[in-house]
Amino acid sequence: MPLYSCNAQSGAISAEAKAKIAADITRIHCDVTGAPEIFVHAFFFEDAPHQPLDGATAFLSGTIRAGRTDAQKADIVEDMRQSIHTHTGIALDAIKVITQDTPAQWVMEGGDIMPEPGEEAEWLAAHAANETA
Amino acid sequence: MIPCICLVQAGQISEKSETVLRSKLDAFTQKTFGEGAQISWVAVSKGNGFTAAKPSSSSIVSVRPHTPVAQEKRAELLHELCGFWTAETGQSMNEIVGVIADPIAN
Repeated sequence: MPLYSCNAQSGAISAEAKAKIAADITRIHCDVTGAPEIFVHAFFFEDAPHQPLDGATAFLSGTIRAGRTDAQKADIVEDMRQSIHTHTGIALDAIKVITQDTPAQWVMEGGDIMPEPGEEAEWLAAHAANETA
Repeated sequence: MIPCICLVQAGQISEKSETVLRSKLDAFTQKTFGEGAQISWVAVSKGNGFTAAKPSSSSIVSVRPHTPVAQEKRAELLHELCGFWTAETGQSMNEIVGVIADPIAN
C-alpha cells in the first residue's frame, strides 16, 4: 500500500507509457509522502468493469494510507494527472485522479501490519530484523 | 456474503490454486464472519502490474466484512489470510498485501 489502480479506454495508454507512468506514480508518491518505493503498487487495466470510467478516458484511483494532508493529496492528484497527460496525450480534463484513505492498521504487507505515515523507517528496520531472525 | 477482491498478476497463480484459494477464502469468511465470500478475482495482465516501478509479483487481497473488527483480531486474521495465500501460491510474505477493512460508514 499504496495501491494505484489505473483504468483506461482500450489502447489509450501504450505499454511504454504505462511503465513511465508507473515510475512517475512511484516517484511522486514517495516524494510527496516520504514513503519507501517498495510500498508503491501501480496496476493498469483497460475497460475494466470493476473501476468504471464514468466518461473519463483514464481514471487513476489511489488507495493510500490515512494521515496524509489535503495539500499532499492535492499534489499527488495534480502531478499524477500531469504524468498521464504527458505520457499519453490524453486531455487533462479526460483524466480523473482520486485518492482514498485506508487506515494503515487495516493492511498487512510483508507479514506485518503497515506503519502509520512517518513511522516507515522503524517499520522497515523491524521488518528486516524479523526476516533475518 | 462478504465482498472480497483478489488482485493477482496474470499467469502467476494456476487455475488449480485459484480454485483452492477461492475455497479457502470462502471458508475463512464463513468461519470468521458467518457468511461466505463474494469473490471478485481480477488478473492484472502481463506488463500491467508494477511494484516499486518494477514488474510486480504482488497479490492484493481485500476483505470487507459487514461488522467492525477489533484490531487485535484483525492482525490475527490477516496473518491467517496471508498465511494460507502464501502456502498455496508459493509467494513470499513480501508478495502479499492483505486488507481487512471495516464497513464503509454511510
